[in-house]
Amino acid sequence: MRRGFRLNFEPVKILTDSQIEAIHRASLDVLEKTGVKFESERALKLLEQNGCMVHYDEKIARMPPSLVEECIRKTPSSFSVKARNPKNDLRIGGNTLYFMSSAGARYTDVETGEVRMATMEENDQAVLISDALDTIDFFPSYTPYFEIDGVPPVMLCPTSLASRIRYTSKASRGAQATDTYIFETQLAQAVDMQLVGVCEAAAPLSYPEDAINAAFEYAGAGFPIYIAAGSVMGGSAPVTAAGATISNNVELLAVVVLIQCISSGIGICANDFVTPMDMQSGGFLFGAMGVNLHQMAFNQLWSGVYRIPTVNTGAAFSNSKLIDYQSGYEKTHTAMASALSGANIIVLHGGVTAELAYNPILSIINDDVANIIGRTIEGFEVNDETMAVELIEEVGPVPGTFLNKTHTRVNWKKEYFVPEVADRLSYQEWLQQGRKSAIDLARERMKEILESHHPDPITPAQDRDIEKILEDARKHYRKKGLM
Amino acid sequence: MAGSTLEELKQIVLDFDMDKAEAVAKQAIAEGADPLECARALTDGIREIGDKFGTGELFLPDLVCASEVVKNALPPIISEIEKQGKERKTLGKVIIGTVFGDIHSIGKSMVATLLFAAGFEVIDLGINVKSEDFLGAVREHEPDILAMSALLTTTMMEQKNVIEGLKKEHLRDRVKVIVGGSPINQEFADSVGADGYGATAPEGVKVARKLLNKSDKGGG
Repeated sequence: MRRGFRLNFEPVKILTDSQIEAIHRASLDVLEKTGVKFESERALKLLEQNGCMVHYDEKIARMPPSLVEECIRKTPSSFSVKARNPKNDLRIGGNTLYFMSSAGARYTDVETGEVRMATMEENDQAVLISDALDTIDFFPSYTPYFEIDGVPPVMLCPTSLASRIRYTSKASRGAQATDTYIFETQLAQAVDMQLVGVCEAAAPLSYPEDAINAAFEYAGAGFPIYIAAGSVMGGSAPVTAAGATISNNVELLAVVVLIQCISSGIGICANDFVTPMDMQSGGFLFGAMGVNLHQMAFNQLWSGVYRIPTVNTGAAFSNSKLIDYQSGYEKTHTAMASALSGANIIVLHGGVTAELAYNPILSIINDDVANIIGRTIEGFEVNDETMAVELIEEVGPVPGTFLNKTHTRVNWKKEYFVPEVADRLSYQEWLQQGRKSAIDLARERMKEILESHHPDPITPAQDRDIEKILEDARKHYRKKGLM
Repeated sequence: MAGSTLEELKQIVLDFDMDKAEAVAKQAIAEGADPLECARALTDGIREIGDKFGTGELFLPDLVCASEVVKNALPPIISEIEKQGKERKTLGKVIIGTVFGDIHSIGKSMVATLLFAAGFEVIDLGINVKSEDFLGAVREHEPDILAMSALLTTTMMEQKNVIEGLKKEHLRDRVKVIVGGSPINQEFADSVGADGYGATAPEGVKVARKLLNKSDKGGG
């Protein structure tokens, strides 16, 4: 099982108990009076059987508070995920922090920021590089590219999962696009791994049919489910952090109810993907301060009060078009706020240009960021050895030094984190060694990984099964007239 | 027997075993080991550490702790060398210090340790060393090399003062001068009339060897 990082102190609380109570009460009120739209007869029937008030014409289910709170209690505070290699199994929840790779529609050129469609080879290489990065515990659907040259859009998700199965033995999330969940479930089962299924709302207060079908399919396979309700503040959610917290809460609690009605006790992790809207362009502001406020409130409520594991996507993308200062600070401040407030999964590595682009060089730099954040929340040990009182007395004032002490030699590696690609040379050495930046160093590390890293192989029989499932998917989509 | 004693002397350096150093050295002498061989065993150990520091396998605390082992082990060996009327061969004698007004010691100590590891005899004058003290030490010890460190742009000109002092006292042609420190570059070194400059501690050692026409191998 992957260790991840462990939060060693009380998570930072951005809300008072009274504010938490007000938000929870308001969420129950909206669920009971306004309800949530489910574009699925099957879901509405199931919810009705479990005590919801259902209006079939409007496709709305109104949920009694007792049912909502019962379903929160039924959802476990942590759950396991079986990866292709047991060393990469996950236990999501509790005080554990995992990092998940980010993604992007296209490949971005590091020098110019121009984006273009990635090739299949670039996609496979990006997965292999992420397999080698120690802080990537988990992969989202369609990682890393949302578009691959030569792959019909409808085949993207199964093709992407096949690439992840071949080039990494780490855990993956499934996707919910049209019928993909059928083939992704089969692909996972062919290599004896679980996916984390998915069910994503269409804010405000709605679940499309694909999302609901995906939830039924993945839950039926015994997979835990990753729920999400991305919204934009001022557009599909109120512009205020408190209002957006409530509408997002309603969307997520409604699907917790649905999933617990499908399969009682099933593991769920809830993703927060709410961003402020740019009031000039209408675009998403991924690295904005408002993301921090929302995610911190979300973590306090879901991890802390509901005891349902949390995912934060705020650090997944930056609005910067380049791997530069802005992408560095936007990702780091959002990821740090998430970690300090008790997120269980932070989506971080590699995404830039809003959701438009990805580059593995940024993933390699973000690997250092993830280690710094993870090591920070683990805190430090305070005991006789680390307090070093006798040593402080022995060394005394100047000219005393700690540098020539065994205590320094033995302990510094345990206490420090040494980044893989940060430039820490002296100025003169930096000049002599070709003025390399972190990006140059990351490029060198990428080359090393591509030359030396070998993911855990699959068997030839598993490879044939994967090809057959992909062929079945192509036939299915052709028959449906989708390709 | 003598072989294993010498091996142990080298091993305590590789093990960073400061506490055992003096006792092992005394034991070696008591057992009748050749003190020159003992000194060479210690130098072999510290050179191995210095090489690994140069390649990034080992770090500053390793280098400094290993050099502490040698410092602790050396006195009984040196006194035995003197007692036997023998002479310890070194690559040359270096006087090193951080210039007046500057209390930075780490870079200077790194260079001192690596020079020592390479087989030089090193006299470390410490930090905040006044010009007259450098000149006095050059007169007294007659070193092959004078190495000066300055970490501040405000103290780097002090390196020039010392060189001017050497000229005035007619000592300049009797000693090679190396300068170093983060604000220093080759251009500055040339402008103040130094003989050599190293951007890093391992480079400082290379420059010292070059100035004395010593190859990269051997010594000790």
